[in-house]
Amino acid sequence: MDDLELLTDYSDYLRKKKEEGKKIVAFMAHDNVPEELIDAVGFVPLRMIFAGNDNLMNESQSLNYLPASTCSFAQTCIGLFSLKPNVYKFLDMVDYFIVSNHCISDICTSEIITKYFFIPRLNCYSSYTQSENALKYFKLELLDFKKQLEIVSGKEISNEKIIESIKKYNLLKSKLVEVNDLIINGKEKLKIFQKAILYGPDSLSELENIIEKYKNQGSQKNHNSKDLLFTGCSIFIGDYLIDLIEDGGGNIVFFDTWIGWNYFSQYIEDIDINSNKEPLDLLVLRFKNNIYGDHTIPNFLENKIAYIKQYIDDYKQETGKKLGVINHIIKFCDHISIFQSILKKKLQEKEIQVLNLERDYSKATRGQLSTRIEAFLEMM
Amino acid sequence: MSIMGDDLINFSSVLKMSYNFLAGREFLKRKKFREKKKLISVSLPFSDLAYAAGAIPVFPIRMQIFDINRYLIAMNSATSFFGWSTVVKFLGFVKQFDTMKIADNIIGEVIKSLNIKYNEMYDLGVENGISSDFCYGIKALFGMHVTKGKNVDASLNFTIRCSAYNKYLESLKVFVPNQIWVETPPRDIGNAVEIVQGNILNAISELENITGNIVTDNSLKKQFRFRNQIIRYYKTILYEISDSDFYPCNPATFAEILSLLSISFQDYNSDVMRYLDNISQLVKEMRERIRKGIGMDVSKMPKIFFTPMFGGWEPKIHEFIYEFGGRALYADWDVMGFLQEIDISNDPIEGYARSLLYTATRGFGCDNNILTDSYLKIAKKLKADGIVFNQLFGCHSITNCYSMLKEKTRRFEIPTTVINFNKIGENVEQVKTRLGAFMEMFK
Repeated sequence: MDDLELLTDYSDYLRKKKEEGKKIVAFMAHDNVPEELIDAVGFVPLRMIFAGNDNLMNESQSLNYLPASTCSFAQTCIGLFSLKPNVYKFLDMVDYFIVSNHCISDICTSEIITKYFFIPRLNCYSSYTQSENALKYFKLELLDFKKQLEIVSGKEISNEKIIESIKKYNLLKSKLVEVNDLIINGKEKLKIFQKAILYGPDSLSELENIIEKYKNQGSQKNHNSKDLLFTGCSIFIGDYLIDLIEDGGGNIVFFDTWIGWNYFSQYIEDIDINSNKEPLDLLVLRFKNNIYGDHTIPNFLENKIAYIKQYIDDYKQETGKKLGVINHIIKFCDHISIFQSILKKKLQEKEIQVLNLERDYSKATRGQLSTRIEAFLEMM
Repeated sequence: MSIMGDDLINFSSVLKMSYNFLAGREFLKRKKFREKKKLISVSLPFSDLAYAAGAIPVFPIRMQIFDINRYLIAMNSATSFFGWSTVVKFLGFVKQFDTMKIADNIIGEVIKSLNIKYNEMYDLGVENGISSDFCYGIKALFGMHVTKGKNVDASLNFTIRCSAYNKYLESLKVFVPNQIWVETPPRDIGNAVEIVQGNILNAISELENITGNIVTDNSLKKQFRFRNQIIRYYKTILYEISDSDFYPCNPATFAEILSLLSISFQDYNSDVMRYLDNISQLVKEMRERIRKGIGMDVSKMPKIFFTPMFGGWEPKIHEFIYEFGGRALYADWDVMGFLQEIDISNDPIEGYARSLLYTATRGFGCDNNILTDSYLKIAKKLKADGIVFNQLFGCHSITNCYSMLKEKTRRFEIPTTVINFNKIGENVEQVKTRLGAFMEMFK
C-alpha cells in the first residue's frame, strides 16, 4: 500500500467516523498525549505523522508564522493546514487541536494551527522531569485534559471507559511488538507501524492478519543488506528517506523512534491494570516509565545510549551480525539535534558505527543524503 | 573609545559593577580555595537559592580570563588604597588631559572584551559539539562550561518552556555531573504551587548537602529581601529614570548600563550584598546627576524598546539608535517575569514558588499568546514609542513569535520592526540600515 492509497483510505475512515458523530482530535505526533482519554470519550485521536514534502514545509515558511529556523516537521504541520493538498483534505474534519509541550516547536506550531486555522484548542501539557513531584503535576494535567474533553463532549468519562481504552491500546501495542519481531524488511515494517498509529485499535484485526501471514511465509528479508538501528526523529508518512536507505543497501531492523519502539513500548502492564489503581494513575505510571522519550530531562541521553548499546549487543548475540546506527536529525529539532555529537561520540566509544543524518525536507538534499547513506553503508 | 566611555567614567557604581563582573575569576578563586565556598553555575536570574545556602552562584562566563585584567588589577589595587570614588575622580582628571589612554582603555575594553569573550564562548560551544542550529545564547552558555565547568561544584538548573534550554542543561552533565533541578510546571493549575514548593525544597536539600549549611526560613527571607531591594532599584532605573526627559548620561550610555544590569542580574556578580550596594549607589548617582543638570536632554528622543536581548544581541544597537536620534531601552527580565518581588510575609518557599510560577506562566508564558502579551505589557509600561524585536537565529522559543507580536502592536499602534541576529559583529551594517529606516518614522 503506498502513501496515497493509505491516505485516501484514511480519509474515508475519518469520514465514516464523522458520520457516526465522532469528533476528531488532532495533535502533533509525540508521546505523553493520552490518546486513551480521547478514545474513552468517544473521539478519534489523529496523530500528525505526515511530513517529508518540501512544498508543505516551504508553504509554512512563506506564511512567516514562524522563522525559517524552525524544525521542518513543525513547518510541515502548518503547511498541511494551510495548503491542504487533496490527499490531506481530511484535515478539514479536525474538530479540536491539542496544544502540548513535547518541545517548544510543538507548543508554537499547535498554537498557530488553532489560532490561524480556527480550530478549537485543547491543552495537554506534561512535566519536564519524572520526579515524584513531576508525576503529581502530570496527573493535574491529565485531570484537566479529561475535564476539557468532558466539557466539549458533554459527557462524563467513566473509569471503566478509560480502562477499556487502555486495554485496547495495550493490545494494539502488543501486536506492534509482534510486528517488530517479524523478519521483514524495514520499509514494510515502517508502513505497518505508520498505519497502525493512524488507525489505532481499529487496525487490530488487520495487524493480526499481517502477523499471521508473515509468520507463515518465514523470513522476508534481503540477507545481503546492511542491518541498521534507526534512532532520532521519526520517518513520517510522505517521507522518502526509507527508500534512500533501502536503495543504498541498508535495512532498518529496529525503529528506535516515535513511530516505532518508542510508541509501542509504552504499554501498561496487566499487573498494574488489575491492581485497582485509578486509571489516570496508570497513565501517570506510563509517563514515569517512559524513560527513553526525548521530551524528558535530565537522563534521556544516558538512558538512550544504554538502550541502544544493549539492543546492539543482543542483536549481535542472536544473529552474529553487527548493527550500524542512523541518527536521524530533522534540522532545528531541539531534542535530537543538541545531543547529536555527544550521542555519536559515546556510541563510537563503544565501537558502534553511527551516521548523524541531519536534514530538512528539501528535495535538493536528496542526492547528498543518498551519497552519505551509501558511504556509511559501505564503511559498515 | 566607545561613545559610552566618556560618560561611564563618572559613574563609580558602573565601574564597580563592570569590575566585579569582569574580575570574577580572581574573586571566585578566592572564594573557592581560600574560603572553601562552593561554586554553583547559574544562568538566567535563578541564583537566589544558592545564596541562601551559602554557596557562590556564578554566571559561568565570569570564570573566564578577560583581556583587560591588567588594567582592572591595577585599578583594584588603587581602589584598595584610595577608595573607588577617589580613583574615579582621578580617572576623570586624567581623562581631561587625554594624554594617557588608561581611562579610555578601561571602559572601552570592559565593553569590548565582554563581547569578544561571548563570541569566543560561542565558537567554543560549536567546536565542542553544539550544533550551529542553536541560538547564540545556548552556544555561548555551552562554551562557557567547556573549559570552566570543572570549576563549579554543581549546576542549578531551572526548567523553562524552551526545550533547547532544558536539553542544553541536561547536556551540561558532561562538564558538571552534579546537577540540581528545579522544575517549574508550564501551567498554574490545581496545586501547582505546592508542587513547585516541593521542588524548591528538594533543591534546597541538595544545596545543603553540597555546602554543609542549613537553609532556614530566615536565610531565605534575607536573600529574597536582598533580591526584592535590587528589583526595586532596577525598576526605578527602568521605569522612573528612563521615563524622564533628562538622562544622567547620554542614552547610549544609559542603554549600556541597562545591558550591564541585565547580564549581571543573573548572579549579582556572585556577591548579592555588594551588588545591592552598587545598584543603590547607581540610582543615587543617576539622581544626583539629574539634579545637578549633568547629562542630556532626551525629551525629543523616541524611546525604543529593544527586546529580547538576553539570548544574544548586537551590542552596537543602542549606539545606532542613539545615532539615529532615539534612546534604546532593555527590559528583558521584566518581560520574562523576573522583576516580580517575592512575597516574604509568610512562608518564603511559597513566595518563591509563586514567583517562579509567575515567570513560567505570565512572563515567558506557556505559549506565544502570553509571551507576546508580556512583550507588549512592558512596552506600554516603558511608554515605548517603538519596538525593535530581536529575532535570534535558531531560537524556537522567545523570539519566534514576531508575526503574532506585530499583529498585536498594530492594534496598539506601536511601530515595530524586526532585526535578525546570529553572532556579535555579523551583519552590523545591514542592521544599521534597517534601524535607520525604522527611526525615520519618528522624525
